Amino acid sequence: MRFSIYRYASESDGKPGMQDFDLSDEDIEPGMMLLGALLKLKEQDPTLSFRRSCQEGVCGSDAMNINGRNGLACITPLKSLKEPVELRPLPGMPVIRDLVVDMENFYRQYRAAEPWLQLDEPEPEVEIKQSPQQRAQLDGLYECILCGCCSAACPSYWWNPERFLGPAALLQSARFVLDSRDQATEKRLGQLDDAYKLFRCHSIMNCVQVCPKGLNPTRAIAKIKHAMLKKDF
Amino acid sequence: MSAGLSGLRAWLAQRLSAVYLGLYFIFAVLAIAVHPHLSYEEWRSWLANPWVLLATGIFMVALLMHAWIGVRDILLDYVHPLWLRVSAYGLVVMFLLACGLWAAKILLQASGL
Repeated sequence: MRFSIYRYASESDGKPGMQDFDLSDEDIEPGMMLLGALLKLKEQDPTLSFRRSCQEGVCGSDAMNINGRNGLACITPLKSLKEPVELRPLPGMPVIRDLVVDMENFYRQYRAAEPWLQLDEPEPEVEIKQSPQQRAQLDGLYECILCGCCSAACPSYWWNPERFLGPAALLQSARFVLDSRDQATEKRLGQLDDAYKLFRCHSIMNCVQVCPKGLNPTRAIAKIKHAMLKKDF
Repeated sequence: MSAGLSGLRAWLAQRLSAVYLGLYFIFAVLAIAVHPHLSYEEWRSWLANPWVLLATGIFMVALLMHAWIGVRDILLDYVHPLWLRVSAYGLVVMFLLACGLWAAKILLQASGL
């Protein structure tokens, strides 16, 4: 099986480029995922660099651009891929080495969403209760694994990564805006109400297309707008 | 069209103006459809109707506001050097203002004032 993989290390003076790799058929096991193939290729060339950890689509480490589409290598079946399999780092993020990108700005935007429960009142002695309906509001929001596939696929995030929070962070904003236990809803909505943080989203929906967990950040953003409307009118 | 028009208010204004533009468009197409051979006099008397004048005046305001928010969004997305963006804003505002004054002149003439 043929692979064409982006090679570059930021500390070297070489130019970025694509390098071809071959994986023989006997190395390919039935049901093998792309990450399995990458690990085999790394045996051929130990300098080939990529992130991975859990190998089952939970940690979100091995997000990359696979044949032009962002996804997780560990849950992408080799069989589903057209040859040569073109692997590139996540678009729009600075490359550290090969498929490893610098996600500092992505995490900065995640922090800006203040993804923790905030209370005005003193913390209660026991847990804060939620009705099943209130809990259901968080479905489709809490499952995010922060792999970065969505934000790295978002043109608005490409053009304004420092000021637009991006789909991943906005999904977290929605997760806490919609949480019945959070008491900072007004503050959260007020912070998002400027030209950049939320409203650079133009519902392009690349985020929805690529999310490996099947989440819908565009709908989450719409829910934030709806909450803003309810607050102001 | 002020500094206060950003975030949710700009987004809402964009959508509300779009709804009005859509409705006016249907109204205008229907009005032309029932007058297939519109003469200049008929056209003038139609436009001199105060309700039509009012609807058209609101249409112009909605159109200019919609255009301003939309173009400003595009410039915010793509034009990052501040001096360049501010200059582009200036050009757009001048163009839209000229269109608005021109439309106002036409509507005032049609109203017979």
